[in-house]
Amino acid sequence: MQTWLEPKYFAWLEQGLVVTLMLSVGAGLCATLLGFVLAIARTAQHAAIARAASLYVFAFRNSPLLVQLLFWYFGAAALLPPDWMTWLNTPHAVAWGPIALRWPSFELFAGWLGLTCYTTAFIGEEFRAGMRGVSHAQEQAAAALGMGRYTALRYVILPQALRIATPPLAGQYMNLVKNSSLTMAIGVAELSYMSRQVDTETFKTFQAFGIATVFYVLTIAAIEVALVVWQRSGNRALQRGRA
Amino acid sequence: MKNKIWGAVLPALLTGLLAVASSAAHADRLDDIKRAGVLRVAAFDSNPPFGFVDPKDNQIIGLDVDYARAVAQSLGVKLEVQPTNPANRIAFLKSGKVDLVFANFTITDERRKEVDFSTPYFASGTQFIAKKGTLKSPDQLNNLRVGADKGTTNEQQVRAKYPNATIVAYDDTPFAFAALRTGNVQAITQDGPKLVALLARVPDKENYEIPSFTISNDYGGVGVPKGETRLLDAVNATLRHLEADGEAAQIYDRWFGPKSAAPLPRLFKIGDPQKSS
Repeated sequence: MQTWLEPKYFAWLEQGLVVTLMLSVGAGLCATLLGFVLAIARTAQHAAIARAASLYVFAFRNSPLLVQLLFWYFGAAALLPPDWMTWLNTPHAVAWGPIALRWPSFELFAGWLGLTCYTTAFIGEEFRAGMRGVSHAQEQAAAALGMGRYTALRYVILPQALRIATPPLAGQYMNLVKNSSLTMAIGVAELSYMSRQVDTETFKTFQAFGIATVFYVLTIAAIEVALVVWQRSGNRALQRGRA
Repeated sequence: MKNKIWGAVLPALLTGLLAVASSAAHADRLDDIKRAGVLRVAAFDSNPPFGFVDPKDNQIIGLDVDYARAVAQSLGVKLEVQPTNPANRIAFLKSGKVDLVFANFTITDERRKEVDFSTPYFASGTQFIAKKGTLKSPDQLNNLRVGADKGTTNEQQVRAKYPNATIVAYDDTPFAFAALRTGNVQAITQDGPKLVALLARVPDKENYEIPSFTISNDYGGVGVPKGETRLLDAVNATLRHLEADGEAAQIYDRWFGPKSAAPLPRLFKIGDPQKSS
């Protein structure tokens, strides 16, 4: 208890934090874009599109994330041809001038895919809730002014919907960071995985999990701060119609 | 205050006295065994194939029991098997309830403080399962993705010895094996006997193999009461003799041979030099 963690193990935890942040940001960005599309699809006038979108939400919101991750990593992988699996599991690097892009490990890829699919369903629903929060009369008013459906969405509905949806969306991003810890089950070396590694190697249980907890709390706190900053500045810009 | 001191000192004194008494009474266990005509041995009763109860006649059988029987035969006495488990085998030996322990007893420096060990008669270590033909020599591990169980010594050994291997840790061995089947890792690591047991239950086991090398070595020996040098020598002589006349290999093959339920190549012979893990 008296001794602190060696720098080596502290570096392990930092690496884990970096992976957690990368995974969360990557999945968060994609889930936001896809969730946006999903929300619009759910309100589409075309019945088939709306039904397909609600089926997606039904499937991905009603099953545990852990099961979905195991499905992508073990289940879906078993269906792919062996050659593809070999390709996915060998490192591929693309050097582009000074920037080198490396294809991530399959663990990270499956974790990213699972988190994105899962979070898309939730973010899509938050967007939709925001859109429903805008009075129907506004849509009719926009139509009366001769706006098409997408023009009305762009200039009337969405700016307001986004403002309504911002706090619950921040909540979804916080959940995403915490949910990313489940990817340790499929071998993604994120923060929780690393804290367990440090614990089993050093037997310094308190330090290992304590530091991981602090890292998570700080990350979530950063999202809270971002939300407050956004509500004070970005929202006003939206209200002024510069969205 | 006084009482407290006595509370600590008295048991200590008693234990000391008992220890003196027991070593005096059993100055030579080997003579006692021969006089009684019975060798009392502690063996596992639920750890196949080392020691387990035969459902047919409720007798304890297994690899350890076979070795124990061979020792009893060479001493010219009957064998009496006492069921034990990892938690109480040292206590059985120290309290004199049994003469020897044959219970997949891994030799460690900690245990050497409590009991004496014979020359090892069984070795196991960190081994691997891979798809046939992918893993031939340990050096290849540096270029492979290796699945391991989180927090096991196997994982730590691979990381320490093959720093370039990519290690992916899973919650337990079945998960690691699932990752091997889907091709996410090219090999998985565990203790040899556990891998054998795992592979025995796999439906397409002909596609996999356990390459015949270990990257660490745990040696199992016979537990002998501390200070019983004549008994220890007799056990060691018997074990060496068993190896020399091929009976040790026969016993091994009965439980781990190619035709057994859990085939595991015999990489260690009694009397082989011990590799430091």
